[in-house]
Amino acid sequence: MSGDPVADLLLRVATGDRAAFRDIYAATSAKLFGVTLRILGTRVEAEDALQEVYTRVWLHARRFDPEKGAGMTWLIAIARNHAIDRIRARTDASRADDDALDTVADDRPGVLERLVAAGDARRIADCFARLEPDRSAAVQSAYLRGLSYQALADRHGVPLNTMRTWLRRSLLKLKECMEQ
Amino acid sequence: MSPLLSPDDDALAGEYVLGVLPLADRIRAERRITADPAFAAAVAGWENRLSPLNADYPDVPAPDLLPVIEARLFPTPPPARRRWFAPLAGALTAAALALAVLALLPVPPAPAPALIASLASAGQTLTFAARVDPDAGTLTLTRTGGDGPGAGQDYQLWVIGTEGVPAPLGLIRQAQDTRPAPGLAAGQVLAVSLEPLGGSPTGLPTGPVLVTGVITEG
Repeated sequence: MSGDPVADLLLRVATGDRAAFRDIYAATSAKLFGVTLRILGTRVEAEDALQEVYTRVWLHARRFDPEKGAGMTWLIAIARNHAIDRIRARTDASRADDDALDTVADDRPGVLERLVAAGDARRIADCFARLEPDRSAAVQSAYLRGLSYQALADRHGVPLNTMRTWLRRSLLKLKECMEQ
Repeated sequence: MSPLLSPDDDALAGEYVLGVLPLADRIRAERRITADPAFAAAVAGWENRLSPLNADYPDVPAPDLLPVIEARLFPTPPPARRRWFAPLAGALTAAALALAVLALLPVPPAPAPALIASLASAGQTLTFAARVDPDAGTLTLTRTGGDGPGAGQDYQLWVIGTEGVPAPLGLIRQAQDTRPAPGLAAGQVLAVSLEPLGGSPTGLPTGPVLVTGVITEG
């Protein structure tokens, strides 16, 4: 056992263990539903996405490598990627949805404060704190809500290329800071 | 970071994980993850680096979607291998003579389990369900979502073996068909690419890979 129960379940799912698949749904669906709901905004679409997410978990479990990260991180990456692909397919066709998203309550402040409180995540919180506040906010809302470059540029009132430069530089600063 | 990856590509991996890229760039990045281990490692690095932010996603009790998901993944009832043996057992107890008859009967091999694959991709409405009959060496492909290819284009089916080289399995021109496909096995990946009319001229996918799925025991 690895001390990562989700990873243990994933390794069993990778062998075609259907009981482990049921266990992993029971153990993780609330978190992954939280992810798809936050990004997609409606229960109907979030539920639809969740079905696809667990279908992929079954089909791709063999790609999970516990040496490379935690089981929950792998699952959340699948959920985020699928939800973001969906919203991107939607907003590429119709920009109006980006505006609709803006009516969802903004989640900017809370997360960093909570991270500071949680000891093991202090470093990323410290590193975010070194970014300029609007860039830090842009990185976080991109990650948590799946906002596109275009949507972020509109929100912050800057050209798209400026936003791209902001975020790429912010990512590199975060990485350097976390590797110190 | 991998020494094989340029800082620019590392930033691209970060942008992919952040989720800010347009769909076409995301699909390109997803293809690269499967083909380029250094890029895949960079993506995993960013996923780990940013994972503390995941704490902000709330737990929201999800409805029990397992029955729907399982019906999709495991569409067949358990294999009915016993049926063949049951009447045989009866015959054995009915008459000792049957033993002699049985000795003369060719023993049919146990039926190989059916293999299935669900072909899908993020951002694609196009989906296929594949069912492989290993005994017959055939593959039945059903388009379960999305539209046929545009004018002047074809969908082409591929199997990607463990060595990673795609081998063509023919064009897909009907919503459902059965084609010869001997030697398919669990663990191989099926893929559908968009090709010019008549299929890839090179014997390898030339257009975008639209959907993929792993063959599993059904």
